Amino acid sequence: MEINFEHRHAAHCENGVIRNLLNFYGVKLSEPMILGLGSGIFFSHMPFYKMQGMPLTSFRPFHGRILKRVTKTLGIEVQEYKFKDPDKAMEKLDEILFKQIPVGLRVGVYRLAYFPKEYRIHFNGHNLCVIGKEGDEYIISDPIGMNKNRLSATDLKKVRYAKGTNSPKGHMYYIKSMEHYRPITAEMIEKATLKTCSDMLDIPLPMFGAKGIAYLAGRVRKWEKLYGKTDAALNLAQVIRMLEEIGTGGAGFRFMYAAFLQEAGEFLKRPEWNELSMELSQVGDLWRDFSYNAARFFKQREGALSYNDLANKLDVISARETDVFLRLKNSIERGK
Amino acid sequence: MKVNEVPQEDGFYQPDSTVLLRDRNFALDENGKFTEVPSAGWGPKNDAIKFTWKNRMEEAEEIRRQVIAGKSSPLAYHMIKLQMTPPILSGYTGISKRKIKKFCKPKHFASIGQGELDSLADAFGISVEELTSID
Repeated sequence: MEINFEHRHAAHCENGVIRNLLNFYGVKLSEPMILGLGSGIFFSHMPFYKMQGMPLTSFRPFHGRILKRVTKTLGIEVQEYKFKDPDKAMEKLDEILFKQIPVGLRVGVYRLAYFPKEYRIHFNGHNLCVIGKEGDEYIISDPIGMNKNRLSATDLKKVRYAKGTNSPKGHMYYIKSMEHYRPITAEMIEKATLKTCSDMLDIPLPMFGAKGIAYLAGRVRKWEKLYGKTDAALNLAQVIRMLEEIGTGGAGFRFMYAAFLQEAGEFLKRPEWNELSMELSQVGDLWRDFSYNAARFFKQREGALSYNDLANKLDVISARETDVFLRLKNSIERGK
Repeated sequence: MKVNEVPQEDGFYQPDSTVLLRDRNFALDENGKFTEVPSAGWGPKNDAIKFTWKNRMEEAEEIRRQVIAGKSSPLAYHMIKLQMTPPILSGYTGISKRKIKKFCKPKHFASIGQGELDSLADAFGISVEELTSID
């Protein structure tokens, strides 16, 4: 049994699953639009919140946020489940699947059979879609894969019950009803964009939003003293991983959000947004320049920059992002 | 980023050739419009991952020497090598964290029951033979 489901590759797993599910129900939205509507761009650096023993740097909100925001905005009803008992979780999956309903799953990647071993960390926020079952095998539409693939029931159960931070506990979700669906409007886009600006500008703690990048810069300057040479380099490697991990579309979603601003600017007939889009794209280039130089640093190439130089780059990025999101916010508020 | 700048630097072996995991970059075409381009990977990111991985392997090598010297158990070695921590391993196996830490010492490692060995090996995705050796 395989549902007639169009598998499409996406940059980010959560956006991709949402876009492909919406597409199945006849709602055509681009991945950047999903990111924009879901206010899916962010920055945080939390020295007290550790992942793999290192401070967490993140370029997006916590997982699940985008799904909730997008479906709520569009008036789409989503049903979610979690289960204590893995067998019940698999039974429920089959029950929904055999009603010809594609099901989204949150899984851990540590034991995900088709991932390269270097990518198998204890990350429990990966999303994929189950779209069929043949014998003991599930047909999977993983948005970061170019093609559909298959996983045995045993392997699927393993990743649905991955352990560690934010364990998925069999988390599954599907679209229950399109009855109250509202097509996208200018107002929805503006509201979501204001939410993004507020996330990036208004959180009164130093480690969040555009100013959080300057906070990271301050930490980077102290790393060698705090952690020693090797661990400081490992921390730097971690930041690059989060920036460029499969799913960000490059430079921690900055390019993808710039693509959203361009598309939304056309929809709203606001040419100014295209300028902001180009500026955010340049900020993306600055992030890439940071990664490039950081990689030279821990490969100990000659002429590599110091932590202080890298931190200076982050300070520039912080100021540029603050400026872009401030102007974006002003452009909406002026328009009212 | 421009379309012709989208990197195609594949860094890692993919166990399932059908799925073909790819990044997807948003890059500007010659008219200043964003276009989506699949990307095989990017050098600096691959380097970051390899650096972290290499560091782990060096740590594991150090533990391996300790196992040979009789100061540590194979479990401790596999935990480092396979990026496992006592709390997460405890989550997978139901064996308490305290017991797992105890099993990292050679004299207690010998006392692990067969059932516990099986569930530890299963959590790591390796065989019991691999778990009890350090090759």
